[in-house]
Amino acid sequence: MSGTRTILHVDMDAFFTSVEERDRPELRGKPVVVGAPPDKRGVVAAASYEARKFGIHSAMPSRTACRLCPHAIFLRGDHEKYSRESERVMAILRDYTPLVEQLSVDEACMDVTVSLRLFGSGEHIAREIKRRVRETTGLTASVGVAPNRFLAKLASDLKKPDGLAVITEENKLTILRPLSVTRIYGVGKKTEPLLRDLGIHTIGDLERFPIEPLRARFGVWADELKARARGEDDRPVAPYCEPKSISNETTFEQDVRDRGQLERTVWELAGEVAGRLRAEGVRGRTVQLKLRWSDFTTLTRRATLAEPTDETSCLAQTALRLLRRELAADRPVRLLGVGAQNLERGPAQLDLFDQRTARKAQLERAADAVKAKFGEKKLKRGGTL
Amino acid sequence: MKIEVTKTEVLDALQQVQNVVSSRTTLPILSNVLLRASGETLELTTTDLDVGIQRKVSATVKRSGATSLPARRFFSIVRELPEGEIEIEVDEKNMAAISCGSSFFKIVGLPAEEFPALPKLEEGKHYKIAAANLRDMLRKTAYAISNDETRYVLNGIFMGFKAEKLTIVATDGRRLALAEQDLEFPKANEAEAILPTKAVRELEHMLGEKGEVQITLTENQMAFEMHGTEAEAAAGKGTEQEGTKVAAERKNVLLVSKLIEGTFPNYRQVIPTESKERVSLERETLLTALRRTSLLCTDTANSVKMHFTKNNLSIIAKSPEVGEAKETMVINYKGTDVTVAFNPEFLMDPLRNLDNDEVFMELTDELSPGVVKVNAPFLYVIMPMRMS
Repeated sequence: MSGTRTILHVDMDAFFTSVEERDRPELRGKPVVVGAPPDKRGVVAAASYEARKFGIHSAMPSRTACRLCPHAIFLRGDHEKYSRESERVMAILRDYTPLVEQLSVDEACMDVTVSLRLFGSGEHIAREIKRRVRETTGLTASVGVAPNRFLAKLASDLKKPDGLAVITEENKLTILRPLSVTRIYGVGKKTEPLLRDLGIHTIGDLERFPIEPLRARFGVWADELKARARGEDDRPVAPYCEPKSISNETTFEQDVRDRGQLERTVWELAGEVAGRLRAEGVRGRTVQLKLRWSDFTTLTRRATLAEPTDETSCLAQTALRLLRRELAADRPVRLLGVGAQNLERGPAQLDLFDQRTARKAQLERAADAVKAKFGEKKLKRGGTL
Repeated sequence: MKIEVTKTEVLDALQQVQNVVSSRTTLPILSNVLLRASGETLELTTTDLDVGIQRKVSATVKRSGATSLPARRFFSIVRELPEGEIEIEVDEKNMAAISCGSSFFKIVGLPAEEFPALPKLEEGKHYKIAAANLRDMLRKTAYAISNDETRYVLNGIFMGFKAEKLTIVATDGRRLALAEQDLEFPKANEAEAILPTKAVRELEHMLGEKGEVQITLTENQMAFEMHGTEAEAAAGKGTEQEGTKVAAERKNVLLVSKLIEGTFPNYRQVIPTESKERVSLERETLLTALRRTSLLCTDTANSVKMHFTKNNLSIIAKSPEVGEAKETMVINYKGTDVTVAFNPEFLMDPLRNLDNDEVFMELTDELSPGVVKVNAPFLYVIMPMRMS
């Protein structure tokens, strides 16, 4: 990566709840939470700014959120709608550069370095994007403009909501120094306490800290940390990131002992994972089962297939084989997950002794098409009803 | 024990038996080769408890006896010795003194009594087949054996003795190779067995151009005994009494193997009874074209597309990160256009191991199995790859 880059980080403001508030004006200005209902297991997926004032944040158990703000409005959310809105936003971003890396449903970063001659400065593009997103979707986005991904993300956070901030080579140190080291990507639960032991609290502390004792503590990671503290980051924007694994899991509303229900759940999860594998055009060679007992002990079990698969029945049957080995008499299950790993691309070798598979695969592809047209819920496997 | 043997003979024997010896074993004696000298022969035996090989060579036995020596080390010593006679003398502590010309070695052995004896397969069903025929059948099929340990019944070859035929089948679930050979045996001897890969590999090594193999099949074991060609020539001479003695010694290689327990899948069921299109192809030309196109295959894009159109076959390999290869062949084809993708390795395997000039391919569509046939009792079924 040579020369100066211009990177934009676009982050939709309280995305899920904003979509709900846009469509249901009566919710505006109220604490809105999208996620699990407050009387059920599960977590908050998104909280409106009003709800955040009560200390509610995403990934918090809904029950806790309800305690913090009993009059909050809890919504299940319509994730298909959010995906549609997300796609409209991403389409706008791609008008400025093909180098758009979608980081999640409501977040993306883009490299506009080569687009500057066409569209003007990074700040100008950011303003354009904000305006067009508002006009097209009625939603607001916060955009950060900076010479790299780390600083761009940081900038997008500086003036939220509906913000626009520019970090340059000139002002980056002034902005970084007072911030907590936890704002550096890669500094989390493990590194932060170690830094704190050395008396390093802010990014400025880290920047000024001598390298040698840091190396003694962190090895090669020390140089990387120092570089980040100086606001350096040479990660490229990769428009498409090949998934390493695809998985899905579900927490039961009540712990489940019933084998039949567990097996139906495996089929549902496998079906969803297989659909995503096919949508990505990959097949998984390793099948993983995740199992959490009612006492929260969690185990994962893996099986490797002779030929990688993207078919529901193969995934489900492999996961069921793993499940049956673990199911102890009467031990209630809290969570089940099914995943595919060791993903491969390219043509699939068909099996001599399972020639129906090829036909089954055609059936599943047809089912994918029906689901794409009429929605996920319209077509289900007989056994899972 | 005290013997004299010629280097070439004992080296040849060691080469044959040492493959069975496992280098990592919990039972140290299994790394050894059992030596037993009596009469005019030295008998060399190795085993890994699943497969055992025994080879007899002629020797001047000065004092009969037995011991076991570390097979790999013994083999490497013999290999480096000068040509000529080797004298091996073993004391009661199993210390073996090996001398040859100006070289002298002493190696530590283990008592012969600790060596697990090969099972004696006296009772059982017997069959006889020309060594060259059996070797040929193995060559045409064994490459299709599965090495996926979760499908253990496929980790060997199926041998069916039925309807006056020996049928050998190997498959890994993606392709299947079948070879057949007429064989005379009483109806009561009809049987089937799955011989594990390791035994198949050893058998391929030991089968020569000449001679006959005696097969003995029991409930869970199979033995193959082979006649040496030199002994065979010698058997023609001498008195009747000498003849029988030589006949006994003629059985100079024995392989005994455990069988894979389980049921081999119903292979008849996956052989297409009829295909839509049939095309004749020159084996060498097709093999060369496949070998060239497969140069552009990768681990993740391991397929070639075959387009059959009127009097034309094009073979294409393509992968976004590597590039593209295309071979075109003029063929005699009048059928409908067919496009089908195969793993090129799977298609080259039979072509490499056949020697017919002409092969026939039978195809139906891009999801149905293809069949390779020749003008001989052989066929090969190959599943396509689903194009993405």
